[in-house]
Amino acid sequence: MVKIVTDSCSDITPELAQEYGIMVVPLYVQFGDKVYRDNVDLATVEFYHKLVKSKVIPTTSTVTPEFFTKLFTKLAKETNEILTITLSEMYSGTYGSALQGKAMVKNKCHIEVIDCQLAIGGQLLLVTTAAKMAQEGANLNQIAQWVREAIPRTHVRMSFDTLEYLRRGGRIGKAQAFLGSLLKVNPVLSIKDGTTFPVARPRNRAQAMDFLVNFAKGFHHIEALAIEDATTPGELEILAQRLKDLVPPERFYRSKISPVVGTHVGPHVLAVSILEGEC
Amino acid sequence: MKANLPDGQLLKEIFASGTTWLEKSAPDINAINVFPIPDGDTGTNMLLTMRSALEEATRNSDSDASSMTKSLAYGALMGARGNSGVILSQFWRGLAKGLEGKSSFDAKDFATALAEASQTAYEGIIHPVEGTMLTVLKDAAEAADKTAKVNSENLLSVLEAAVEAAKDSVARTPSLLPVLKEAGVVDAGGQGIYVLLDGALHHLKGEKDKMQYRQPRLVAADVALTPKMAPTATEVEVPYGYCTNFVLKGQSLDLKKLKKDLGKKGQSLIISGDESLVRVHIHSFEPGEIINYATHLGTLHQISINNMDDQYVEFIKMQKERLPTADIAMVTVASGDGFLEVFNSLGTAITVPGGQTMNPSVRQLVQAVESAPSDNVILLPNNKNIILTASQVESLTSKKVKVVPTRTVPQGIAAFLAFSYEANLEKNAQVMEEAITAIKTIEVTKAVRKTQLNGMKIKKGQFIAILNDENLIASGSNIKEVIFEALLKADIEDADVMTIYYGAETQASEAESIAWEIQDKYSIQVEIVRGGQPYYNYIISLE
Repeated sequence: MVKIVTDSCSDITPELAQEYGIMVVPLYVQFGDKVYRDNVDLATVEFYHKLVKSKVIPTTSTVTPEFFTKLFTKLAKETNEILTITLSEMYSGTYGSALQGKAMVKNKCHIEVIDCQLAIGGQLLLVTTAAKMAQEGANLNQIAQWVREAIPRTHVRMSFDTLEYLRRGGRIGKAQAFLGSLLKVNPVLSIKDGTTFPVARPRNRAQAMDFLVNFAKGFHHIEALAIEDATTPGELEILAQRLKDLVPPERFYRSKISPVVGTHVGPHVLAVSILEGEC
Repeated sequence: MKANLPDGQLLKEIFASGTTWLEKSAPDINAINVFPIPDGDTGTNMLLTMRSALEEATRNSDSDASSMTKSLAYGALMGARGNSGVILSQFWRGLAKGLEGKSSFDAKDFATALAEASQTAYEGIIHPVEGTMLTVLKDAAEAADKTAKVNSENLLSVLEAAVEAAKDSVARTPSLLPVLKEAGVVDAGGQGIYVLLDGALHHLKGEKDKMQYRQPRLVAADVALTPKMAPTATEVEVPYGYCTNFVLKGQSLDLKKLKKDLGKKGQSLIISGDESLVRVHIHSFEPGEIINYATHLGTLHQISINNMDDQYVEFIKMQKERLPTADIAMVTVASGDGFLEVFNSLGTAITVPGGQTMNPSVRQLVQAVESAPSDNVILLPNNKNIILTASQVESLTSKKVKVVPTRTVPQGIAAFLAFSYEANLEKNAQVMEEAITAIKTIEVTKAVRKTQLNGMKIKKGQFIAILNDENLIASGSNIKEVIFEALLKADIEDADVMTIYYGAETQASEAESIAWEIQDKYSIQVEIVRGGQPYYNYIISLE
């Protein structure tokens, strides 16, 4: 069976990883001298508490090539096909590390590495669907081809209270167009072509949620849908109620923005990701 | 001598990594280059200058810090290109001065040398401008000095402090240099300095291998990125002339006289070097005259003359690629410095001054549309008396223009906020028209004469409130009472967000006290913004 590997920025929960047999590789978040593995040593609740309270600004770092080499070598004992799906290369060096790690594997195992040009829920939808295909017996080429074709059909929208975290971490991308507004807005951004794009400027959180809901309802055919929050489970519940009928329950995913992504987006993000059905 | 002190070899190595870092970000640095001339080559110029410095350093097998820095400085001088390159070569000259006679150096020496380097960079320029790479160098040097005072042995922590300070300094450049703020960018040269130092720091941290598969993180401006590179409606297009660069070799060159004489012949003059070898960078319409002058002083080498107007055309192309899709420019009409700033902060391409009793002419609007940096333009008149004028623009330009008939400034702001980067011109115009219907505008002003309107008798000097620029809905001598009555008539209970724009002659404190009372009475999000508008004490929007 094809083994599916991804990174922690996919926000795949341990339960999902278990269910679909996905190997989730953690990135790192660093507060001062202390280094934590994303979602492993530092849970989201604790992290966001620290993010808001701590005077030290956390930094993040990528997975090393050596880590991937070791992981691939180990996995190669159980399988001869590995598909690794990483977050956008524009956000992190994880894709490069995976490629380098792959080059150093002295084994005949067939390893494919794909930069999915997304992160968070969008990546989650691609990875879980890929893992489902693997469970159903698809081979590496089939799954890899499907992922590449599905990337343009995968849409992510995130609403923010502030873009300051994105700016500070250098991941603002084209959404810089929304910085510096003299009016209070709750910007909605997308991830496209691997980077951050401006989408809309609702005036408050309620309008922002309406925007996310209308965005999701605008699709004719949705294959899978993921919603995420960082520190606002109440809002996530409301969002879930408003969107749950759009897809069958087994293709409706709820998750949390991981600490590594949280470092760059801040504690008040809500996200909706959609895998659009093939026409 | 301590055997493990940093020496010339280490210096060369860390700045080689810095240069690798610079190479990775050079295209992005080029793209934000707007000062002094938007010619889009700062990243490349700094990179080529550093390469030349390193080539010279590679020829030097001496591990002596002083000797190595001199090689770097000489190489930088010989290879310096453009404004930023020459300033960078000055930086190296200063660093070499600071490390003069030292075979190795500690953190304190390095901090001292950085200070010297920053000072030397300033000296190369007749009129130093803050918010440029000079400021970034200065801030980095100051932070390094501060850290070295408490931790004189640890080069890593000193460089770390310098890099952090450089990063913050780069982020501040738009607030120091208005041309950067207008363009929504940070200073390109400052960004280059930050990247160079950051790369050096990564090397020092032992992350040289990791750097291969990593990308430098550039500092973003704290302001909106706006497509304002094209000249605005009121500006006349002026050609930029030629960027002239050369190295002058001679004997006992008088640098002061050279500066003074050349200063009269052009702009952006930078001179770097000593009395036997000088790098000159200058912008001029008559490069021949400059070359001619310099040949009388010594021999000329590495002469390059670039037409900056050609570079500018390339730069504009590059800008369009950077902008977030939807190639649509917004042109707005507004009066009041606060409103102008609001529209700027939202990303307007051009704001034409105008409004109540000062309607812009068709010609002014056509000019603004013509100079907007896109062939697709949305025009927001923001006043009912300007809508008709604006609608004539469409037939007077070859560009595609959509007029969204905003009758008030808040309608214009609501329309602007509804702009979608994912929609085309027609769809956007439609979305904006819909957005207008969701907003109510209350304008509060003083009656200029005695009158009777909507069954209300109004005395001269009384306050009146007008809804959607149409209906008089409240009047009285107490401004607060008038506002509250108007809010009630405008169905404040149905609104979520209220924005109070106070006028040029209204106190912020008065606006605040009104806002407090409103928040006490209604559950609504209230925001106070300075509109700075004439005539109207308050312009209030309910949405």
